[in-house]
Amino acid sequence: MTIEILEQEALTEIQAASSTTALRELELKYLGKNGLVSGLMKGIGTLTPEERPAYGQKVNLCRAKVQETHDTQLQRLKAAEREVQFQHERIDVTLPSRPLRRGREHVLGMTMSKIKRVLGSMGFVYYDGPELEDFDFNFSELNYPPDHPAMDAQDTFYITDETLLRTQCTAIQGRVFGTVHPPLRYFTVGRTFRNEAVDRTHSHTFHQVDCFMVDEGISMAHLKGTLGVFARAMFGPEVKVRFRPDFFPFVEPGVDYAISSPKLFGGKWVELGGAGLIHPNILERHGIDTERYTGFAFGLGVERIPMMAYGIDDLRNFMENDLRFLEQYS
Amino acid sequence: MKMTESMLRDFVETKLSIKEVGDLLTMTGFELEEIFSAEGEDVLDVNIMVNRGDGASVLGLAREVLAKDPQAKPTDLTLRLTSGCRQPDSGSRDIWEKTTVEIQTPECTRYACRIFEGVVNGESPAWIQERLRKVGQRPISLLVDLTNYVMLETGQPLHAFDLDKLAGERIIVRQAREGEKLTTLDGTEHELRPDQMMICDGEKPVAAAGIMGGEATEVSATTTRCLLESAHFLNTSVRRTRKQMGLHTEASYRFERWVDPEMVVTALNRFSELLQEAGGPKPVPGVADSYQTKPVPNVIRARVSRATKIGGMAVSRDEARTYLTKLGFNVTLDDDPDAWTVSTPSWRIDVVREEDVIEEILRIHGYEKIPEALVIGSTPLGGSHGIEAVAEKVRETLLRSGLDEAISHSLRAPHPLDATTDLVRVRNPHSPEAACLRNSILPCLADVVLRNGGNDVHFFEHGHVFAANEERQQVGILTTGSLEPASWHKGNTGQSDFFSLKSLIEAVCQGFWHVPEFVPSQDPRLHPTRQAEVKIKGQRVALLGQIHPEAAEQASLPLATCLAEIEISTLAHLPEGLPATKSLSRNPASKRDIAMMFAKTVPYSTIEAALKKAGGELLEKYSLFDIYDGQGIPEGHHSLAFSLILRKPGETFTDEEANQVRDEIVAELTSLGGKLR
Repeated sequence: MTIEILEQEALTEIQAASSTTALRELELKYLGKNGLVSGLMKGIGTLTPEERPAYGQKVNLCRAKVQETHDTQLQRLKAAEREVQFQHERIDVTLPSRPLRRGREHVLGMTMSKIKRVLGSMGFVYYDGPELEDFDFNFSELNYPPDHPAMDAQDTFYITDETLLRTQCTAIQGRVFGTVHPPLRYFTVGRTFRNEAVDRTHSHTFHQVDCFMVDEGISMAHLKGTLGVFARAMFGPEVKVRFRPDFFPFVEPGVDYAISSPKLFGGKWVELGGAGLIHPNILERHGIDTERYTGFAFGLGVERIPMMAYGIDDLRNFMENDLRFLEQYS
Repeated sequence: MKMTESMLRDFVETKLSIKEVGDLLTMTGFELEEIFSAEGEDVLDVNIMVNRGDGASVLGLAREVLAKDPQAKPTDLTLRLTSGCRQPDSGSRDIWEKTTVEIQTPECTRYACRIFEGVVNGESPAWIQERLRKVGQRPISLLVDLTNYVMLETGQPLHAFDLDKLAGERIIVRQAREGEKLTTLDGTEHELRPDQMMICDGEKPVAAAGIMGGEATEVSATTTRCLLESAHFLNTSVRRTRKQMGLHTEASYRFERWVDPEMVVTALNRFSELLQEAGGPKPVPGVADSYQTKPVPNVIRARVSRATKIGGMAVSRDEARTYLTKLGFNVTLDDDPDAWTVSTPSWRIDVVREEDVIEEILRIHGYEKIPEALVIGSTPLGGSHGIEAVAEKVRETLLRSGLDEAISHSLRAPHPLDATTDLVRVRNPHSPEAACLRNSILPCLADVVLRNGGNDVHFFEHGHVFAANEERQQVGILTTGSLEPASWHKGNTGQSDFFSLKSLIEAVCQGFWHVPEFVPSQDPRLHPTRQAEVKIKGQRVALLGQIHPEAAEQASLPLATCLAEIEISTLAHLPEGLPATKSLSRNPASKRDIAMMFAKTVPYSTIEAALKKAGGELLEKYSLFDIYDGQGIPEGHHSLAFSLILRKPGETFTDEEANQVRDEIVAELTSLGGKLR
């Protein structure tokens, strides 16, 4: 068989191959070690030494041509076969996902983590005080006069005459002042208790933040500035803070602070909590020189933050741990 | 405190609208609750701060408006009431011939009365009835309506007695005697106690001082002679008695918060004025006034520079004086040119020290003028340290491990999963469902399971738990059912069990580089042969196990539920571990597998210790990849299959060397009774 005929047959067959498997057979048939193209070289022995170089060159050209045609055909067939495979392997990407386990934060846990991050980054040290508290830390140390109407707002659960479930996280102040000397910056986030029935807007248990610092030259402006930074971190950069006078036995001057933002609550002022400069009676009780040191304190309810930010309208949801509720926020 | 617009305008001339007056009161501290319309007039409802009894009167709130609104002017009525509302008969002593007033207790500092004879106790004037109705009070009769109206104006509670019903027609203020009784206006009979102050006639108690009058001596349609009481009682005494008697009245509300003792006679005079305007008789000339203890004003030095420093905004000396004067303080020059000497008015016992005076200056100056400033000075390392940081790290580890976070009530009812320590009980619980403090987190998590379908939930909670004289932080874990939620996908549907929970505990310990030891334990809530205590350096830091079948039944939980309690307080007190760094060998490892049969009574921890000891440095890693106790294994035995990764630092193992290490391990395990399979 002449080189030309063999080449022609090879090209025709390769171009007609309909699968990579068939092509692989043709590759072996023509281009393999014992294939037909290699077989052409066996005929070289019958040629004169002068004819041999030219013949060899022709065989090599033939091999190159067949190889190239094979490679092209292989690319084509592979592409076609992949296309079939891809069509076969098509998935419906709109099917539901495979629900791998991931730990989900409780919406209050998430809020409290954020509070801790923000206040911690401003240099306030987190302190976790007891929920079962001494009467003195909850009231007397906080400058409540004995049997004063100010206590009426705080229906209290008593364990004994001297111990109660704290009605306010401010109770940690006496504990901190008893062990740490100014300058100091502290905060807590924790549970407080009031003897109330549970309904949409009331609960016998809720969470509070209480944050305070004592240093030289602390003023109402520092309180407003710190609250501004805190409120903007929690509610967004456009938030403004407003003070109005109010009475709490443990601060003097005492204020009620409200926030407003064009993006929240229709721009209305919404009261967030109580604040003020720490009452000098409290500082003096702990031997702190009130001429040298002043301090501020502010508090707020934790539940109010997600209620305002996400429009939650039922306080009971928080402590019921219904995943239908919790998974909306995590 | 409710007042109509016209009542306020009786006291203040201002160009401000009623809405603006409300906002202005809010910015003085008397927060506007709402403005509502009653019978065509606007009514202001204002919250009174508990230390500001003086605000529970139109006069008191008018004083705030006058101080805060520079354009506002006092009316003639205001000026008259602030100067005693003197009547022509004030100096007369005629009244003492009709009655006597005797104070026998230090809890009453002043008692005064007037007497009116020839009264017709019909209806009060229409305008008074109308104003009372608008603020939510029911008109009753001329005498009663006037006492209520004058109290709204001046803040001074008044009480009208039918003089003919007072035995001896005299008043004695004293403590009740054992065995005495009083039926109050609301028809309730009270057994009196010696610590309760009573208004008495010649024989018996006729009114609870500062709280409520008695039924027997109240004025009626047939009353013609009236003794009108105006007095000052100590706030703590009134509060104590009204709590004991279970009463809460407009009068007790005011006395508890402080009433101006200097207003006592003024209020009698104002009543007398209004009675005559209504066509009533003139009083018997004179006021029977027994003034035992006059209030002593507080004299305070207030520095303007300190006001500026505390307020963080500039206030001038003149401004400070103006504000204080308008509020009724007596302001005089001080030796210190920076300061004023300030004397408090009789209605402001809440002002006792310099900071209180400064608050007055600042709040009238306006808190809206306070700028926002950032704190300068020392900045400690903020955030969580110590136990707080340990708790947060455990929480993060469990969240990362795929557990959901729960937050539940610490107040609850007893539960089968309570720890064995006694529950701390609330003395005055609101309901039996919230009467005890939890002594374990686990009962709360049991509730979470039931709320979420009863199975396939994996939760943890961090919180405080309580025992007698102890409050500590605990993390509870409850895991039950499929680790992967059911879906159309035929993926891994592994079930949680003791060992998946054990992995979580190990992850928590690993967070602090602690190596935990698991020791069989005996907690009655857990399956007796499937539970362990977790010990680190000999300290018990956690408990874990499968629920006891009986507890599962009582608590309606699945039998396969697994529970753990991690004691954060204990964990936090351990010295933190350190990671043990080993340099990595870059030479190839040799892998050998061995399977050995042991009696089941040999604990895995013993086998593991022997394996590690024999393998030494060369045993880089091992894992137990199979436990088999089927065919070919004698009863009470099982076969443990290990894969061993052996590696030498800086050298390559030959096959012979690797086999030799393996053989040494096998020999060591054989000495524990193991048989190579």
